[in-house]
Amino acid sequence: MSIELWLAVAVSAIGTLLMRVVPFLWMQRRLGSDTGINTMPQWLGILGPLMIAAVLGVSIVPVNPSAISWLATAIGLSITLLVWWRLRSLGWPVAAGVAAFGLVELVATL
Amino acid sequence: MNQLANHSPWRSALQGVREAIPLLGGYIPVALSFGLVASQAGFSTLEATAISALIYAGASQFLFVGMIATGAPLWLVVALTLLINVRHVVYGPNLAGLLPRSRHWPWLMHGLTDQVFALALTRLPQLPDAKRFSWFVGASLLAWSAWIVGTTVGATAGEAFTARWPLLGEIMPFALPALFLTMVAPRFTNKRWAAAMGCAILTALGLTIAGWSNVAIPLAAACGALCFYMVKFETWRRTS
Repeated sequence: MSIELWLAVAVSAIGTLLMRVVPFLWMQRRLGSDTGINTMPQWLGILGPLMIAAVLGVSIVPVNPSAISWLATAIGLSITLLVWWRLRSLGWPVAAGVAAFGLVELVATL
Repeated sequence: MNQLANHSPWRSALQGVREAIPLLGGYIPVALSFGLVASQAGFSTLEATAISALIYAGASQFLFVGMIATGAPLWLVVALTLLINVRHVVYGPNLAGLLPRSRHWPWLMHGLTDQVFALALTRLPQLPDAKRFSWFVGASLLAWSAWIVGTTVGATAGEAFTARWPLLGEIMPFALPALFLTMVAPRFTNKRWAAAMGCAILTALGLTIAGWSNVAIPLAAACGALCFYMVKFETWRRTS
């Protein structure tokens, strides 16, 4: 890569890092100060879980969308939800969902 | 008291590592793809790995190498890369109250991706204060390392890897929606939250299918927030 290209990587990296760290430090300082607001704004507390929901929506789309992969996705998500409902944990529901998704994909290739 | 006495930073970090393992199902295939795409675009293995280690933001990295390969002006490449990553601005403030103060945050926040944020926002409130810092270090370092190693492998042997195990690249990424579903499910506690979450999920899904995945997360979250406040307004009118 040329010097200009390395510079572009550096500016993109520093810019992205600043977007991650500055708002975090700013809010920590506000929460800890005597004069500032000592609780997080309500809209921010609402936006956080909604961001996770949006990340879920983006990740639902299969790598290679087809009728089979959509069916596998629906079955995989149902199994994940079912196991989560029983166990209320993170690990096993994910493992069960991936296994169900993989099984449907494998059966479809036979 | 007993919990604090038993606290070990290493144990908390290992807990973070263990709980971040499901993220790898999504990280490794995408990192492999990025390494492959970058090498096909003319970047060396070292350059592709450096981009992953330094920028560390999936979608924007694909855009970065893609635009460079087509000969786009560098200022435009940087501007669009930063524009895609602007959603990260909301993540830090949400975690600020959950994590202790530390002089290490300026470099540790480099690990705050979409997935690490989602995992941290769900898990940190359930952990004792003393464990949170080490947990975040363990979880974010595992994700970052996997992203870097995946890129290196993708750039050196991505073609051979995907040709040998084509189905693996389709199955492993399902770990991400499965994980996020287990994080979102506990929020369906009342109609108002269910409507807002459902709205955000469906909007993000629709935008991604339409090819707008780069703006899907902030737009879908904004739609969900709009729905959250509108449902409250309608309920208030009915009861008044």
